[in-house]
Amino acid sequence: MNDPSTGPVRLAYSAELDQLRLQVEVMAIRVDENLERMREALANGDTAIVAVALAADDEIDAMNVSLTERCYDLLRREAPMASDLRFIVSVLRILGELERIGDLALRVVKLSNDHHLLAGSATSFEILRTMTDQAIERYRQSLRAWASMDLVLANAIVTAVHDMDAFFERLLVELFHLQGPDATRIAVSSFYAGRALERINDHAAIIAARLRYLLTGDPGHLNAEVR
Amino acid sequence: MNRVTTETPPEAALPLDVRASTHPHSGRAEHDLPVFEVGDLNVYYAGFQAVRDVNITVRQREITALIGPSGCGKTTVLRCFNRMNDLIPTARVEGKIDYHGIDLYHRAVNPVEVRRRIGMVFQKPNPFPKSIYDNVAYGPRVAGMKGDMDERVERALRSAALWDEVKDRLKSSALGLSGGQQQRVCIARAIAVEPDVILMDEPCSALDPIATGRIEDLMREIKERYTIMIVTHNMQQAARISDMCAFFTTEVNETSDTRTGLLIEFDSTAKMFSNPSDERTENYVTGRFG
Repeated sequence: MNDPSTGPVRLAYSAELDQLRLQVEVMAIRVDENLERMREALANGDTAIVAVALAADDEIDAMNVSLTERCYDLLRREAPMASDLRFIVSVLRILGELERIGDLALRVVKLSNDHHLLAGSATSFEILRTMTDQAIERYRQSLRAWASMDLVLANAIVTAVHDMDAFFERLLVELFHLQGPDATRIAVSSFYAGRALERINDHAAIIAARLRYLLTGDPGHLNAEVR
Repeated sequence: MNRVTTETPPEAALPLDVRASTHPHSGRAEHDLPVFEVGDLNVYYAGFQAVRDVNITVRQREITALIGPSGCGKTTVLRCFNRMNDLIPTARVEGKIDYHGIDLYHRAVNPVEVRRRIGMVFQKPNPFPKSIYDNVAYGPRVAGMKGDMDERVERALRSAALWDEVKDRLKSSALGLSGGQQQRVCIARAIAVEPDVILMDEPCSALDPIATGRIEDLMREIKERYTIMIVTHNMQQAARISDMCAFFTTEVNETSDTRTGLLIEFDSTAKMFSNPSDERTENYVTGRFG
């Protein structure tokens, strides 16, 4: 027997949560675009990209503020519980991660002025480009997991053995052995870029870890967010 | 009220002395001591089954909240814990409610003694049309409790966080107090007979947020001394104050078109409100499905 008193309620609230999820996705795409600019700037030293990336980062920051306010408003207004509560607190965390990834991408983009230096050491430059590809790939996997609320993919991202740390170690070794008048400048710029790429990789993993918590409710997954 | 139960030796049921120091489990941490152990509880009103298959354990010095939609049997279950359903001629309780290991419904157990040990605070403040003092002193007098009554009344009013507000007008009518104060008089009245458990049936539903906050503060304070069970429709309240939470819902009997309450989930409040095990609990606590 169908019970007329049962069925979905608080439809506007449900729609707001769906909208929030999509807007996080939009913000993540903006970050992704800046990651692509980062790759371009690192590879080709295109300084014209800096202004575009800066403007895009301003937009990302504004979205972060706006969506954070929306989360606070939902917490105040709707007193979310259970999966809704996990969703909103997870969005707050993910917004912070996205904003941070955007900042780190911008840090690398700004190094386009030093492209000639970075490219001056072929081996370390190749390591940086590989690290860039890996960080972006991991970020995109996390974005895909978020967009499809895919627990299997989130698990795979968190538990996969990534060689980012090994690449960073190799980069450091290479930089220690640099010689010549520009060695210090190359080392500083490369270290700066390498560190940012390593952090982007970590922040991408945190997004996947937070997605696992969101989908399972298991607070044990929060441990994976500690870096 | 009719009662169908397994037999318990009468000597175990008398004299219903349940102080923790004499409890068979007194070697355990006090917090872990079960006050009520409920097994396969079913409640009927005449031929209609109001609640079915309730299994929970209520532990000492904890606040246990009963939540669920209207008509799911929360209040019916709450009233079983101090045999209030005895007062309804057609009510029938089946299954087990052990109180400190004693069958609460054994025929040798005196319901008056049960209600002295297991007090109740109702939805609507219901002070007697007497002075504040007499309201609080009423229970101890009826129970024939010895000792300094002034001291007992003051202690109860202090425990109910009301002393400072009424100490200069103890002889005034309790009906002249605000709703929140009246409810705290009722809590003081319940406390005055030194109960072991306090049952609260939506104690804040008629109160404004400030008065509700005071009652919640009070509950947190007195849970150090009493075991509390509360029925509430306010899920934020359950999340704020309770340690354990039982979620009930209703099922519709298609042939009779009646509703029976059933327990869906019983767990720590933290778990129930962050990651409930049952989808029906999730739907209810998120408030997104009716």
